[in-house]
Amino acid sequence: MKPIVIGIILAAALSFAQTKPPVPRTADGKPDLSGVWQGGSLSFAIGEANAARVAPAGGAPAAPAKPQAAPYQEWAAKKVQEFRDRRGIDDPMARCLMVGIPRITSMPMPFQITQVPGQVLFLYEAFHSFRIIPTDGRKHPDDIESSFMGDTVAHWEGDTLVVDVIGFNDKTWLSTVGSFHSDKLHVTERYTRVDFDTITYDVTMEDPEVFTGPWKQRSTIRLRPNERVREYECGENNEDIVRFESILKTDERYKR
Amino acid sequence: MKSIVLASVLLLAGLPVVAHHSFAAEYDGEKPITVKGVITKVDWANPHMHFYLDATNDKGEVEHWKFEGYPPNMLVRQGWKKDMTLKAGDHISVFAWLARDGSKLAHSREVTWSDGKKMQSGPPAGTGGAN
Repeated sequence: MKPIVIGIILAAALSFAQTKPPVPRTADGKPDLSGVWQGGSLSFAIGEANAARVAPAGGAPAAPAKPQAAPYQEWAAKKVQEFRDRRGIDDPMARCLMVGIPRITSMPMPFQITQVPGQVLFLYEAFHSFRIIPTDGRKHPDDIESSFMGDTVAHWEGDTLVVDVIGFNDKTWLSTVGSFHSDKLHVTERYTRVDFDTITYDVTMEDPEVFTGPWKQRSTIRLRPNERVREYECGENNEDIVRFESILKTDERYKR
Repeated sequence: MKSIVLASVLLLAGLPVVAHHSFAAEYDGEKPITVKGVITKVDWANPHMHFYLDATNDKGEVEHWKFEGYPPNMLVRQGWKKDMTLKAGDHISVFAWLARDGSKLAHSREVTWSDGKKMQSGPPAGTGGAN
């Protein structure tokens, strides 16, 4: 009899271990996004072999949505192409500047979300960036100074945290090489914790100065168990910028 | 092959991740190279590690190479340890992509030690954007 009982207990324990915990919730019933997360490509962040080991149970990571090309106005598309022809040498990130939104979410370095009543805090490893996001219903202040990370407020729509960002400067790129924007940029991010270790990240970028319409992208953010946010002091020894200056002076293709 | 597969995945992703700088501005993803030699110095610093290596060429001359790699935070996540994993005197071979300026500078991807141990030291080519 005893071995049977032990067997049942073991089977139950194994079954529990294989079941993903439910999405945690805060006292007000909203999904709790607190934790350390990695956006973009996990493989790039921690290496292919490691990524394979930590791939979520049940198979490969969700297939990314088909990327939508950025709807640049004609003049702006030409400018993007100029940036691409210059192979990204103008990338603000290479100057160790904060990378703005949504690019910060695609960095190969994790970030921590801490959710407390009335606020959600985003603490990014990359470029010492942070966001203190009110969720208590307040609106954007009326004295916003333009900045790299913009001004953010948020509210819940069902189980989705809807984040509204305005007040950007025009000194960051949105994602890939040359994806510039103006200071009229308006970003709407939607964070949906679809299961214990996954947030679906939907982002809409609107900019009447450079786009013909909204640019929508989707990516997957993964929980990083046992990870912590470390330090990334980009300005410590940025030799790239020195080499960039040399390239700009000596390479014919970069001479204007 | 692995790099090619990974690069394809990155291209498919909605928001391709990029490292600190544009790879393509400084390095040529069409010019892979493997260099064998002895480590002379390791700069464990942000935003990228650099390590220096002396290699003897076919003419018997010593060439002084410099390689770029991941930042310390990403090296640590892959199991690297400062002053222990890679240090002066280590005999290694390194797979990398050459700088466009023709100097003895390259962007490292993988280091192989004389005992056969391999570790990734930098991102795949082309992850910095347009090539």
